[in-house]
Amino acid sequence: MAHQADEKRMLDDRGYTGTLIRGANPLLLFEKPVRDRIVESMYWKEQCFGLNAATLCDRAVELENIGGIYGAAQKPSKFLCLAFKLLQLTPERDIVLHYLRQEEWKYLRALAAFYIRLCWQPKEIFETLEPFLADYRKLKRRARESFSLTYVDQFVDDLLTKDRVCATSLWKLPARTQLEDLDVLEPRISPLGEELEDVDADRQDGRMEDDSGSDVEVLGDGHGLGNGHDHDNDADVDGD
Amino acid sequence: MPPKRMTANRDRSHRYFPGKVEYAQDALSSDSENSDAEVSSAHQPAKPSLPKATSFPKDARLAANLSKINLDARRAQAAAQEAERLKREAEARAKEEEGFVTDDDNDEDDGSRREQESGSEEEEQEESTSSEDDVPKRRMPAPKFISKTNRKQHSVPVFNEEELAAQEDARRKERADEMLQLQLEKQAAAKAAGKKDWDDDEEGLADEVDDTDDVDPEEERALWKKRELLRIKRDRDAIESAEKEREEIERRRNLSKEEREAEDREYIDTQKEEHEGKGKMGHMQKYFHRGAYTFDADDETKQLLNRDIMGSRFQDDARDKSMLPSALQIRDMTKIGKKGRTRYRDMKSEDTGRWGDLGVRDRRKDGDHRLDERFLSDGDAERPGGTGANAYAVGERRKRVDDSRDGRRDDKRPKYGR
Repeated sequence: MAHQADEKRMLDDRGYTGTLIRGANPLLLFEKPVRDRIVESMYWKEQCFGLNAATLCDRAVELENIGGIYGAAQKPSKFLCLAFKLLQLTPERDIVLHYLRQEEWKYLRALAAFYIRLCWQPKEIFETLEPFLADYRKLKRRARESFSLTYVDQFVDDLLTKDRVCATSLWKLPARTQLEDLDVLEPRISPLGEELEDVDADRQDGRMEDDSGSDVEVLGDGHGLGNGHDHDNDADVDGD
Repeated sequence: MPPKRMTANRDRSHRYFPGKVEYAQDALSSDSENSDAEVSSAHQPAKPSLPKATSFPKDARLAANLSKINLDARRAQAAAQEAERLKREAEARAKEEEGFVTDDDNDEDDGSRREQESGSEEEEQEESTSSEDDVPKRRMPAPKFISKTNRKQHSVPVFNEEELAAQEDARRKERADEMLQLQLEKQAAAKAAGKKDWDDDEEGLADEVDDTDDVDPEEERALWKKRELLRIKRDRDAIESAEKEREEIERRRNLSKEEREAEDREYIDTQKEEHEGKGKMGHMQKYFHRGAYTFDADDETKQLLNRDIMGSRFQDDARDKSMLPSALQIRDMTKIGKKGRTRYRDMKSEDTGRWGDLGVRDRRKDGDHRLDERFLSDGDAERPGGTGANAYAVGERRKRVDDSRDGRRDDKRPKYGR
């Protein structure tokens, strides 16, 4: 079908013949209230009309934060609007991969990661997104009432583990262990490969103290990594 | 042809008719344009009689002084003033439809005259323009006749209406463009100054969070390592707990049945202790239930879920409600005074049944005068024979007529005789 400038036709689900994601209209991946807010927002109406994969980059490089819905009136963030646009466009694999792998704009990368998490198959999601757990650039995240600091790797980790990110319920991803048991995936090799072995060696020796060899910071309560406390240090506020 | 004057009286002084062109003695008819040939051309004003004494300067010998008189200075001055006035008028009346541009020829006489008159004229004009809508607002100069040959040589171009309109449009567009340009510049300046568009939010909060990279590479890398290690740890813990669970299941399977029961009993005992440690529900205490849906939660939530609700009392809570008046002996004290309050106290007090030993019933209703058996209670009215219709023995049957005779076998209906 020809490139549709606006989403109205696609939102009307009745005669939908385009690309199916998870067996349904891609726009339905967002919930109804969120969809309504996006479509009624000024940013969508002004800036996201008639975008294609190339011009979307222009908008994406102007992004300054990620986030879902904020404010009393549940205003969608620009990130969310552009993600919706990506869903409408359903660009090809290569394009999305290019968005993801380019180094220059981190928010575009975050956008592509979000899209991949929503649309692709579990194996591909893990394989594609896991390398970016090494990208520690900062991102600004917009919560309901405030801003917070997060990192690209933190965001990707949220995408892989949490149920709801950026005002969207992510569809259920099987756990990595399950996929490993099914031999679909290999066990993950962390980028901290060597240092991890050092850590392990120390752990086996006894209680772990401050390690001068590696750059590991001692955790808040003074215990080392070796004590199996369930530390939840993720302090980000989700824009649900 | 009508007579030149409507009156035969030559001495009759001329009356002023508005709009009618007056003919001065020296301004000959050849100079002025004849719009109405019949009226104006034929009219010859009677010459006024010459005054007795002349005020003409005596020593002004015209012929001798003609050469001395320099009209140019005055002419130039008048021209300059005229030009100024014209410019002002042109700017002020740019939207007029008709505009007569004065010829260069008759500037001197008309210029000076018009100067004097224009001052007063404008005042009059403002009053008169409101009433006269048809008449063009601009005062027309005296129309000067230009012969055919002269007509074609226009020193000043005369525009016809279309061109004028086009000119005005062009002017308006220019002005609009200028304004637009100004606006755009203002917007750009505002943006540069950091002001936001009307649909952008206040991003003042956003400035608190800084997302510039490479501020401190070492620190950033260290933070990343920490996060990464936490992730690894989390994964490992998940694996470990899964392992433990599996082991536990295996172990229990391998135990014998008695051992399993022993373990269960232990578990239940510990649970009971926990429950007992919590406060009990007092009499008529409001029951706060935790809720049917619980979920696997972290330690904090588990603590919240296991807290002792029924054991806690708030300040105004009366422990012993029996001291309260009966109206206040309610389970939920918040409902006092409200219409929706239910009067239900507890099941026992609301129960209307009789439980227990009811063997001997001493009391009789009105024992002395026996009531009609219909009004006795059920217990009283019981007789060995029966109650109601069964209370009396059946009497003898009435005789049927056909019993005595056999002649009336055909009658279907049994007849009862007297």
